[in-house]
Amino acid sequence: MISEEKLRILTESAKYDVSCSSSGSKRKNGGGIGNGYAAGCCHSFTPDGRCISLLKILLSNDCIFNCKYCMSRADADVPRMTATPDEICELVIDFYKRNYIEGLFLSSAVVKSPDHAMEQLLLTVKKLRTEYNFYGYIHVKGIPHADEGLVRETALYADRMSFNIELPTEKSLKLLAPQKSRESLLIPMRRLQQQQRVFKEEKRKGHFLPAGQTTQMIVGASPEPDGLILRLTQSLYKNAGLKRVYYSSYVPLVHNPLLPDIPAGERREHRLYQADWLLRFYGFSAEEIVEDGGNLSLDLDPKCGWALRNLQFFPVEVNRAPLEVLLRVPGIGARSAYKITEARKYAKLTFADLQKMRVVLKRARHFITADGKFYGERHETAIRGLLTAGEARENARQLSLFSDLETARSALTGEL
Amino acid sequence: MIYFYDGSKAAFLTALLLAFRDENAVLTSGSRQLSIGQEARFVQADASRARRAEERLLAIDKGSMHDLDTLLRSGDDDRDMVAFHYFRLLASRGKPVRRMLAEDAVRAADECMRRVGLEIHRLHGFVRFMESASGALYAPVSPDNDVCDLLLPHFRARLAGYPFVIHDVKRGKAAVYDGEHTFLAPLREAEVLLSADEAAWQTLWRSYYEAVNIPSRERLKQMRGYMPVRYWKFMPEKHGTF
Repeated sequence: MISEEKLRILTESAKYDVSCSSSGSKRKNGGGIGNGYAAGCCHSFTPDGRCISLLKILLSNDCIFNCKYCMSRADADVPRMTATPDEICELVIDFYKRNYIEGLFLSSAVVKSPDHAMEQLLLTVKKLRTEYNFYGYIHVKGIPHADEGLVRETALYADRMSFNIELPTEKSLKLLAPQKSRESLLIPMRRLQQQQRVFKEEKRKGHFLPAGQTTQMIVGASPEPDGLILRLTQSLYKNAGLKRVYYSSYVPLVHNPLLPDIPAGERREHRLYQADWLLRFYGFSAEEIVEDGGNLSLDLDPKCGWALRNLQFFPVEVNRAPLEVLLRVPGIGARSAYKITEARKYAKLTFADLQKMRVVLKRARHFITADGKFYGERHETAIRGLLTAGEARENARQLSLFSDLETARSALTGEL
Repeated sequence: MIYFYDGSKAAFLTALLLAFRDENAVLTSGSRQLSIGQEARFVQADASRARRAEERLLAIDKGSMHDLDTLLRSGDDDRDMVAFHYFRLLASRGKPVRRMLAEDAVRAADECMRRVGLEIHRLHGFVRFMESASGALYAPVSPDNDVCDLLLPHFRARLAGYPFVIHDVKRGKAAVYDGEHTFLAPLREAEVLLSADEAAWQTLWRSYYEAVNIPSRERLKQMRGYMPVRYWKFMPEKHGTF
């Protein structure tokens, strides 16, 4: 059994990685323990409001890389620990059978070399699958500069892999993570995407990253504006076929003249996630949401911001507007839009009906008519005034770290 | 008229037929104070009537019996009336009404069924097993809705090699997987002899839970929103914390 101290240290160093979802895999239990849960499953929530789905842990925090923002960087004075593959496997099985976790999120520091780190990760997940007969969810972090063959083999055992982009531009990467380069992250991502396609086309037996790839960017450690971040995100979804891009607002763990001493606002992170949702589920493009060098408004959510810049499209009639148009109304989410399109088949909807159906009208009333009636404001400044006043109160209550309940199904149905 | 019934499907369907045209019908499977002058009727399940009602409803909507099963599992106080209004509407319209969300009866039923579904989903995550000395797993639960047997397929698929018991301590019953079959059994109290390592694993889990939290980002309200306090009782990571 792994020692409590080792578990603590290897978890402390892994916890700032925000991707934790367990969705997207339908792996069957092939005669051992565990299976996939396509919608994802949260097993607990910590006092910071984040969910625990996977056992998030490093194999080792003993690193030769010296990324400035990282608590495990080479010149940091922290206790170093390395777990054995068996310690990790045993931990996963015993936590899993008690239903504490949905699977494993495994990463590692670069102990000797990128190849060695990748090899240890591969060894661990291979063991977990083949010797411990574990069929639950496994997310493995890719190590930049690691051998292509090792990465490919790991993909045969993992449900999801991720190479963290870390910083949105090559320039920031050079400055803050000198041993990583843009290419060392993007090339293996593209390669995996390509291999996954071939695997599917040839209908080979087994699995090859059934839950795809994700990545993560640190926001607020470097000066890139939201516009640039969202364009990069959009291209990662479109061109690299990523399932998710995570944003991690920078928490200063390290004093370094190259890094800000204040944490990046969680509001900014929240706005980026809202914009990310607009890209993935609401048919928006990055260009519509924010201009190239600009930032998202902190006072207004990005959909509201877009609608106020495009008041000529509004108000729309809820009884007639097609789904794609309803989805563009501020305050109407995927679930409300679905409820409206279903209910209006049977009856003409009024504002009272919308209210009873629990469609939130605080924002929406300025942008819709229901059975011809309009109860909002018509002028941009008036709407903005009403909504930002409300937003300030709302945000005082709930600054959310929105990063966890993030499965396609959850987003579409609004369920947990 | 108040129609008392025992909460079973057959008795509900019998009561539905009896109360169908009664404008002031009140259906209940709980206890209810009678007001002066109010008439009461105790409805016994009538197999042939229930079958007739079931066939009729299934002919209108194939999903109707699944809806009924879900509604009758609800722990909401008004679930009998919610189900009654929903099925009366369904029978009188003669076509599926599930999507007619502008109807009060449909919305109430939809929300009630959604709560049952949400709790099942939550329990998939929040159930906590303990390992007994024999290797079988034991989890006490105390759900709002009567759903413990609905958890069986999920856990059976993933824990295929491990017999387990999910014990609804509130209702005195248990969903059991003996390694081969699953079944529901009455169970008042259970005494479980824990395995030698159980306490150590629970301690490790609590350490993990503490270590993975980011204290500088405390969001207690959000945590409680996603994981309501009533589920904490059986979660080792939340023991003694509120």
